[in-house]
Order: sequence, then structure tokens, then C-alpha cells
Amino acid sequence: MWLWFSKLGSPKWFYELSGKWLPWLIAAMVVFMTVGLVWGLLFLPPDYQQGFTSRILIVHVAVAGTSLAFFPLLLVSGTITLVWRMKLADMVAKNAAILGAWFSFITLATGSLWGSVMWGTWWEWTDSRLVSMLFQLFLLLGVISLRSALEDSETAAKACALLSIVGCINVVIIKYSVEWWNTLHQVSSPVSMDTQSPNGPEFWIATLIMIVAVYLFLSVSLILSTRNEILERERKSQWVQDLVSKS
Amino acid sequence: MEAMSEKQTTTSAAFLATLKRDLLIAFKKKNDIVNPFMFFIIVVSLFPIGISPESDRLTEIAAGVIWISVLLASMLSMDNLYRADFEDGSLEQLLLSPHPLFFLVLAKNISHWLVSGLPVVLVSPLLAYMLALPEEAYLILVLSLLLGTPIMSLIGSIAVALTVGLGSRGLILAVITLPMSVPVLIFGTLAVQSTLNSQSPLGYLSLMLVMLSVSVSLAPLASAAALKISVN
Repeated sequence: MWLWFSKLGSPKWFYELSGKWLPWLIAAMVVFMTVGLVWGLLFLPPDYQQGFTSRILIVHVAVAGTSLAFFPLLLVSGTITLVWRMKLADMVAKNAAILGAWFSFITLATGSLWGSVMWGTWWEWTDSRLVSMLFQLFLLLGVISLRSALEDSETAAKACALLSIVGCINVVIIKYSVEWWNTLHQVSSPVSMDTQSPNGPEFWIATLIMIVAVYLFLSVSLILSTRNEILERERKSQWVQDLVSKS
Repeated sequence: MEAMSEKQTTTSAAFLATLKRDLLIAFKKKNDIVNPFMFFIIVVSLFPIGISPESDRLTEIAAGVIWISVLLASMLSMDNLYRADFEDGSLEQLLLSPHPLFFLVLAKNISHWLVSGLPVVLVSPLLAYMLALPEEAYLILVLSLLLGTPIMSLIGSIAVALTVGLGSRGLILAVITLPMSVPVLIFGTLAVQSTLNSQSPLGYLSLMLVMLSVSVSLAPLASAAALKISVN
């Protein structure tokens, strides 16, 4: 039963398996992304209140939902790194931190684009989701800068794993305390955050397609960057050199 | 039985010895205590000059200014928590000792707080007066700092332990730790603000007490693990 688990730790095994999966994942991603983007951004009927601006939300909601997955992902891979010393988990964690920072940034960017039209402001401190996403970005940047500061890769792996676990606990506390802070500073809330407007089901279906598309995009980019990382770190091993000489 | 009790006494003895040793070193190297403290006072005094000398506006920002200056000063003082010990090798001795590292780390954190956190807490009413904070909020400000500064020492200790092996750390400590201080900052300033709005600050203070007890029990574990990672 534990065989697959110990296999999972082997970079070579992952490299071969992910090589088989990648074409399917990429194909599915392209299909979902195209359908979601073309339908969502070009053909979706306008929202009865928000007009065409609601189309930004399709991308924004999908990216935002996905960027919440990064700290749990880092928590799991960090625990695996610390407990079972799996090299693969750290390779995933390294790229997950960088991707997570980008996803958080895109969430903030699309959010402010939407906010600039709907709320009349690019940035709004009274919205707790903006603030906690900003601090999630800061925490991820902290993990990335710690890794780049530490030269020894094994130390960096364990140190970043520990920081990710602490950060994951912290991001939850930050989220709730920022929400609390906000309910007490409701001086001027620019809008009601209600998105439950009587739209047709198209809006939600498009969002759902986009969420699947973004998750697929996340998996593909994570796998691709992890494969790169494997080749770079295992470049001295026999199978990588065989692979290189074959191609 | 006897061996067990002997071990228990030695662990507490080791705890006290570490505490005493760190306090002694701190008082021998007064610069390390005095400079972050001076930094704190100077930063606070810059705000009225930069923002406004009007007491109404100062009252509004007083709690936030003091709290943020405390956080910045604690970043400076954190830096010498493990560095000297790492350089002269006594940190390795600490790791090799048979006693649970949890308590030794806790002792180092407590002594660090006593020399860097406590002075800041004690001087805060004076600065609060200079920032025109109404008198009734002094006690709450001191209490919130009393609960909040140890949390900062405990959380900062994790980041310091992770970066202790780095030659030039620069600002990485602040980049890692400051985002984590958001909850403390929120509840610390809310406690003072709610007193100003004549509401009860007890809820916030008890939440800070919860955070303090959670960090006392968990943060030294993380610091100990981080030290083991950094010192091979």
C-alpha cells in the first residue's frame, strides 16, 4: 500500500508519469480556457446591474478561488518535506510559492480593474478580501525571498517548509482578524458586495468553466515548472543524462 | 523515580541558567538594548513633525503610530537574538544539550522580551502623552503592548532562527515577520480605539491573551525546529 507513496517521492517516476499526463491536461486546459474566455468575455449577456463589467468577474473569481489553494498546497508539501524528506515535495513547493504570488497578484489586479469601474476606486481598504489577499501576497513573497537568500538547497527546502506551515496558520488568523477589523471600520462602504443578482445561469456556468480552466492551468504550470526543477536538480543522475543524450 | 526528578530539576535549572546568561550578556552589551529603544522613541517623535502637530489629529493616530513603531523597533532588536550565539558556537551547544530545546528557546525569548519589549511598554505612556492620547486610554495601551510585544518576540524568533545562518540578512527578517504581525496590530490598536470611543476593550485584550498563550505554546516549537534546520 505504501509503495505508491514511496514511488511518489522519486523524481524520475514523477517525471515519467507527468509526461504521460501532460498532453491530456494541456488539451483539457486549452478547451476549457478557450470556451471560458471566449464565451465569458465576448458573448455573455451583461449583468442587469453591472453591465459588461461583470465579465471581468468571471476571470477574477476563478483566479481568486484558485489562489486560495496555494497555502494549503504549501502546507501539505511543507509537511511532506519536513516529515518524509521527499525531494519532490520541495520542488513542487518552490514553484507553488512563485505561482501563488503571481496568482495573488493577478487576483488583486483583476479585482481592482473591476473595482475601478464598479466601486469607482482601484483600492478599497474596507473590503477585507482585498486586504487579506494583499497580505497573502506578502507572506508568499517572504517565502520566496527566504529561499533565494539561503544558498544550501537542503536547508532552504526545510526552512521554506517550516515558514510555509507557519504562514498557512498565520494567513487564516490574518483573514479573520482583517474581517473583524473591517466590520468595525464600516465608515463608508462604497457598495454592497452582493453579487447574487438575478442573472441567468449562464454567468455561473461560465464562472464554473473558468474555475476548472484556471485549476487546469495551475496544474499544468506547476507540473511543467516542477519537471524543469527535476531536470535541473537531478542533472548529474544517469537517467537525466540518458534523456538528454537521446533527444 | 530519582532519575526522573533529577532530570526535571535540571531542565528548570537549564531554563533559568539560559535566562540568566542572556540577561547578563544583554546588560554587558548595552548598545543592543539601547539602540532599538532609541529608534522607537525617535520614530514616534517624527510622526507629529511629518503629519501634523494638532492634538486632535495626533489623538486619532496615536495608537497606530506607537504600535507600528513598536513593530519596527522589535525588528531591529530581534536581529541579535541568536546571531552572537551562532557566531561563537554557543548555539550549537544549546542544540546539543539534553534538555528540551523548547524551554531553552522560550528562556531566550523571555530574556529578549525583558530587555527589548518591556522598556518599550514602560515608556509608552510618556509617548502616548506626547501624541495627545487621552488619559483613560493609557492603561489599555500599556496592557495591549504588554500582551502584544511578547507575541512579536515569539513570532520574530522563528524568522530569526530561520535566517541565522545568513551572512547578510538585511531586511529579510522584516519581510517575513511584518506581514505576520497584522493580527497583533489590529487587536492592539482596536483595543485603544474602542476605549477612545468609550466601548469596552476587554474583548480585544482577551483575544490578544489567546494569541499570546497560543504563541507561547507553539512558537518556541517552531523556533526550535528552525534552529535545528539552520544549524547543521
